[in-house]
Amino acid sequence: MKTFNMLLMANAKQFVREKAALFWTFLFPIFFILIFGAVFSGNMEDVNFNVGLVVEDDSAMAQNMSAALGQVNAFKVTEGQRDDEIQALQDGDRRAVLVIEQGFGATIAQGGTANVSVYYDPTQTSSVQILLPIVQKVVDNFDRALSGSIPRIHINEETLQSYSLRSIDYLVPGILAMSLMQLGLFGVAQLVVDRENKVLKRLGATPLRRSTMIMSTVVFNLIVAMLQAALIIIIARLVFGVPIMGNWFYLIGFIILGTLTFLAMGYMLSAFAKNQQTLMPLIMAVQFPMMFLSGIFFPLEMMPGFMRPIMDAMPLTYLADSVRQIMVESSAMHSHIINLAVLGVWFVVCLVLAVRFFKWE
Amino acid sequence: MKAVIKVDHLRKSYKDIKAVSDISFRVYEGEIFGMLGPNGAGKTTTMEIVEGIRKSDSGRVTVLGIDVKKDPRKVKTNIGVQLQTTSLYPRLTVREVMALFGSFYPKSASIDKLIKLVDLDDSKKKRCKNLSGGQQQRLSIALALVNNPKVLFLDEPTSGLDPQSRHNIWNMIEYVRSKGKSVFITTHYMEEAQRLCDRVAIIDYGKIIATDKPDKLISQHFQEEAIEFELSQKLENDVLSAVAGVTNVVQEDGKVIVYSNSVPITVSALLDLAKQRGFELTNLYVRRATLEDVFLKLTGRRIRE
Repeated sequence: MKTFNMLLMANAKQFVREKAALFWTFLFPIFFILIFGAVFSGNMEDVNFNVGLVVEDDSAMAQNMSAALGQVNAFKVTEGQRDDEIQALQDGDRRAVLVIEQGFGATIAQGGTANVSVYYDPTQTSSVQILLPIVQKVVDNFDRALSGSIPRIHINEETLQSYSLRSIDYLVPGILAMSLMQLGLFGVAQLVVDRENKVLKRLGATPLRRSTMIMSTVVFNLIVAMLQAALIIIIARLVFGVPIMGNWFYLIGFIILGTLTFLAMGYMLSAFAKNQQTLMPLIMAVQFPMMFLSGIFFPLEMMPGFMRPIMDAMPLTYLADSVRQIMVESSAMHSHIINLAVLGVWFVVCLVLAVRFFKWE
Repeated sequence: MKAVIKVDHLRKSYKDIKAVSDISFRVYEGEIFGMLGPNGAGKTTTMEIVEGIRKSDSGRVTVLGIDVKKDPRKVKTNIGVQLQTTSLYPRLTVREVMALFGSFYPKSASIDKLIKLVDLDDSKKKRCKNLSGGQQQRLSIALALVNNPKVLFLDEPTSGLDPQSRHNIWNMIEYVRSKGKSVFITTHYMEEAQRLCDRVAIIDYGKIIATDKPDKLISQHFQEEAIEFELSQKLENDVLSAVAGVTNVVQEDGKVIVYSNSVPITVSALLDLAKQRGFELTNLYVRRATLEDVFLKLTGRRIRE
């Protein structure tokens, strides 16, 4: 235990006395947040319209109406119960909820005017300017096919307040995740430097166990990760009012798992690099695609479809998704379980490769 | 005498190259044992196998009665190791590195005493990266002593140092011996082996070609003294061998060494020869034979390239 503490302290002193390390770990992410926060201060505008569809009438007419709405290309339609869908709209997971009201089929059959209700948030300009006209047009077409002259369907607009994600809300959890990635990838680089300088060899000539040494590095990086995360969260809170809405324990759990995963990945990269000169480009080659293809700066929906498989493979996508869900309750790309599983698999695979291929001299 | 290191029939190859082939030797309690040879002769490989940080292909090595292959960790607990060129934790201070290394062992020597011993008292708060070459080398010796080991391993401890620093380190090593510890040292400096070592093993191409006290090695191979000079024109070895008193001739890069059992006779004969043939002898000097001469005689090469 004494050895472990001494190693931890040695790591800490080495770290604190290196100004460049301090800068990249603590100030760089803050700069990122401040700059991006200043540039993108508006609301997020999703390109895909997540639309909730509630069918409360079981007539054939209602089925046809529902099918017509479901065919709109711009909509990503989810069918559900009215209460659930409205809740989802308020949480920011839907842009609008369309309800085909009870008695829809019967009213039209009797020659009356049937109701389709649209719930939306009028403060979201794209809802008003794009979504509503689309709904209007689909309903009109349907109506015209029914009779021709007299409109038989009335669109009933219901406005409500929804929680909308600001760009900065979206960005901060992503930057937090990205910082953990960088910390992890570069955290192990020291091992390669130490190997090159024969420090590892010298340590190998003492009774110090490798496991003790690795553990102290891991624990040290976890501590730095926590400090880094805390700093990012505090600055984002103070400057931009970015909240933490979800569970703190989940957040800490994901920070730990994320750091471990990227430490393992850095460790694996070190195993494939002869020295520092070959390691750095390798880390860069891994880091940059992840930075830009993991939905850190903009949602993945905005990226071209052919890049999807790459994005879906990147562990940072999943870490950022969960951190974002927990911090600002953004709409989930995947459930926490899936994110946990993907990160876990990455962690294990990297670790196994690293242990198998890392050379100590 | 009690042997603290026993090495028998040690072998180690890297791919096709035999780094160490069938080496056996003993290091006894309280002695400074030197392994002398050119770079690449297998000194470091041998030493690192004995230290337990490298694995042998075959052979048996015990340190303080412990089999290195079976329990390298126990060996490491009881020995002190200084490696060639280590730069340790650049941003930790001398004292911090010492304390850190002390924590790796069950028992640590007094760190302040050690710092005084290696003459780093004024620099103990200095960061390692700011130390001079000599200071770094002294620190690495202090680190090797931090667990108060019975056997100290030094791999080229004075390599690249100025004469002053080298003498300091020699004094330290002798002090360590005076405390009853054994020292196993590798070097490619003749003076170092001659001045410091109680016994020397000369190693070349992975084989020990002679082991003994430095003086004995020299007197075994040379009753003669060496006369070195340069020639203004090239002469065949035969011509020089025929000169009175000469027992052996070595020529290298225009430099000639003749070994003579009667210096006055040989020198005057050489001068006569020079007059006869019309060439000049320059930079002539006479010295006792050294380990360098022994190496040259045994291998036909000088120890430094």
